[in-house]
Amino acid sequence: MSEASPLRFAGVDVGYDDGPVVRGADLLVGAGRVVGLVGPNGAGKSTLLRAVTGAAGILAGDVELCGDPVGSLTERQRARLVAVVPQSTAAPFAFPSFDFVEMGRHAHLPPLGGPGERDRRVVEYAMRRTDTWRLAAERVDTLSGGDLQRLVLAQALAQEPRVLLLDEPVSHLDLNHRLQILDLVRELADAGLAVLAVFHDLDLAARYSDELAVVHEGALGPAGPPRAVLTARNVSEVFGVRAVIGTDPVTGSATVTPVLRDEAVAPTRDQEVFVVGGAGHGARLLRSLALAGFRVSCGALELGDTDQAVAQAVRARHVTLPAFGSPDPAALSQTETLAASADIRVVSATPFGRGNIANLRAAVRAGDPLVLVGGMGPRRDFGDGEATALWREALDAGAVAVDDDDGALAEVARVLGGSADVPYR
Amino acid sequence: MPVRGPRSAVTLTVALGAALAVAVVAGVALGAVYVPPADVVAALGRSLGAGSGPGGLADALVVDIRLPRVLLAALVGACLAVAGALYQAVFRNPLADPYILGVSSGAGLGVVVVIALTAGATALRPGVVPLGAFLGAVGAVALVVRLATRRGRVDGVSLLLAGVAVSYTLAAVTSFIMVLARESMASVVFWMMGGLEGASWEYVVAVAPMLAIGATVSLLVSRQLNLVLLGDERASELGLPVERLKTLLLALASLVTAAAVSVSGLVGFVGLMTPHAVRLVAGPDHRRLLPASMLAGALTMVLADLVARTVLAPVEIPVGIVTAVLGGPFFVWLLVRGERPR
Repeated sequence: MSEASPLRFAGVDVGYDDGPVVRGADLLVGAGRVVGLVGPNGAGKSTLLRAVTGAAGILAGDVELCGDPVGSLTERQRARLVAVVPQSTAAPFAFPSFDFVEMGRHAHLPPLGGPGERDRRVVEYAMRRTDTWRLAAERVDTLSGGDLQRLVLAQALAQEPRVLLLDEPVSHLDLNHRLQILDLVRELADAGLAVLAVFHDLDLAARYSDELAVVHEGALGPAGPPRAVLTARNVSEVFGVRAVIGTDPVTGSATVTPVLRDEAVAPTRDQEVFVVGGAGHGARLLRSLALAGFRVSCGALELGDTDQAVAQAVRARHVTLPAFGSPDPAALSQTETLAASADIRVVSATPFGRGNIANLRAAVRAGDPLVLVGGMGPRRDFGDGEATALWREALDAGAVAVDDDDGALAEVARVLGGSADVPYR
Repeated sequence: MPVRGPRSAVTLTVALGAALAVAVVAGVALGAVYVPPADVVAALGRSLGAGSGPGGLADALVVDIRLPRVLLAALVGACLAVAGALYQAVFRNPLADPYILGVSSGAGLGVVVVIALTAGATALRPGVVPLGAFLGAVGAVALVVRLATRRGRVDGVSLLLAGVAVSYTLAAVTSFIMVLARESMASVVFWMMGGLEGASWEYVVAVAPMLAIGATVSLLVSRQLNLVLLGDERASELGLPVERLKTLLLALASLVTAAAVSVSGLVGFVGLMTPHAVRLVAGPDHRRLLPASMLAGALTMVLADLVARTVLAPVEIPVGIVTAVLGGPFFVWLLVRGERPR
């Protein structure tokens, strides 16, 4: 017999006296998992959490904690299974931090008794774990927001729960405190806690959750891996924002970048610039040229490459390759067409490898006008020296070498007329 | 900022206990006729059968008149302080107090109704007067809570406004009944202003068990009372059956308010002042705040009654006037200091 999952929503309508806020919610939060809820304000994310603790009504279906419907549990039984870290806490009067955290032990104490030695050990452990032990004698109402929120987390841990509910626990905190608290939550989950968290920030949601689910228009979407849920299409439908889904270079988690308004990148000129980029080195050129009103195009770019995301965002014509793929003959010929039909070609200071060497080849073959960023040779050549050879060939054929993107933009403006001087912060 | 913790609370409690003992002796010694403290202690010893020697007039004065009065003052003060501390916690409102919330007026109305109804059966009164006071207090607090509830939540400012409104209305009804039943109300008029001059051992025996219940139960749940300060939702998340506990606490507060009102009429501000003053030293933890507040309330009432008896001796002024003279400015000070209802 497998153990019941710590938290389960089974066909639940949640809401208040005036009717359901979210209908038909199904969700499973397993031990050791962090499940994130995302969605616009007022969609009912918090209401879902509050249904677990009885603060919001369960109008249909069942919310189960470790196999028992929450409605069948007393406050006390429930508080031994599930703890909450609310968005913010009104610091009450002048309790010492230790006593405040000790309040988390309530559900474990005899109704008319006080805390004992084991309770004090649990409190100390919770405070050490949240790095608040040093504040034990300080008054709660004198603490900073970050310390107070960690103290509330300690109070929740003192409950020794199986399930932790977080309602935008870090929204109003400084960046460093956000990461500290969420890192700790991640550790706690890795140690077996089941976590259901409402996130305001999509990047943090993707970074810390095993699964995400979208709450939108009174429904809870299916939970899935962050990258499967945070698609450009979902973000656009749910938040009404066009976004580029990228990859955090450090954590590898999905990032969501809302992009420029459509009208901002609508071309105002007929001339087209072909940009050879890769790994983000073409990003600035693409953005500046598009905002200056030029049509822009790229060659083949891998899915997930920053320049591919930027190209998509600024509506640059390009060929999308699968990640780590090489262009097939069709992609090659499309690239050649794009390079040849442009009025000018700019090669950014990107390293060259299997994925983008074809773009350089196409740009050089298409001939003048051609601008090379990075001086007398390609920045790095992961090919068999082909990039270096192509670079030399281009210079011999009269290509203009410039030091940096500014130089390239000035050269484009000189050749095509007008200005491509768009501020880049 | 370090916490003023258990140690200062213990010191305060011991100091308050000692001060109360001194105040009781002083309260018995001082008055229209001075009885030296040594004689007071000797008379108390004799009355407990612990000593021997001649008794006489001084013993009668001490044991039959002054002592029940001083003890009654102490009991009433403790009742009001417990009630104030409980109301302040349940409503999370620093300005709550049985007098301001109209609970005292409700209890007063209950008393007057009972007296009017038992005009021909005065023997029943010791039993039914406290009951009438209790029903009046419970009715008043229920009405005030209902009036102050906005979208399922008791609003702080509305609570005070509702308290004032209910208080005035019930006081008017009380006065009206007193006018209608003038003959049986002669003694009630003075009582309404808050006075202890009717004190007797009978009253002491009537109030003591009610205070004992109120004090014992509230001390038993004092740890839970701390959780109530976190707000209903948070307290529930931590495993507290909030609604049940609050109902119990309001019933207890109404019980001790009724006990106080049924023997001493409307004495204001003791329930407001003493928990506040104690909190400044002992901190907000009810496990320490409640006992210290009881002692402080008892001390305040004993001293206020002493002033009421001696300042214009041999004429007595109602003790409610003394507490109002102290409490009115205190209330204003709290407002100016920025204690706002939440």
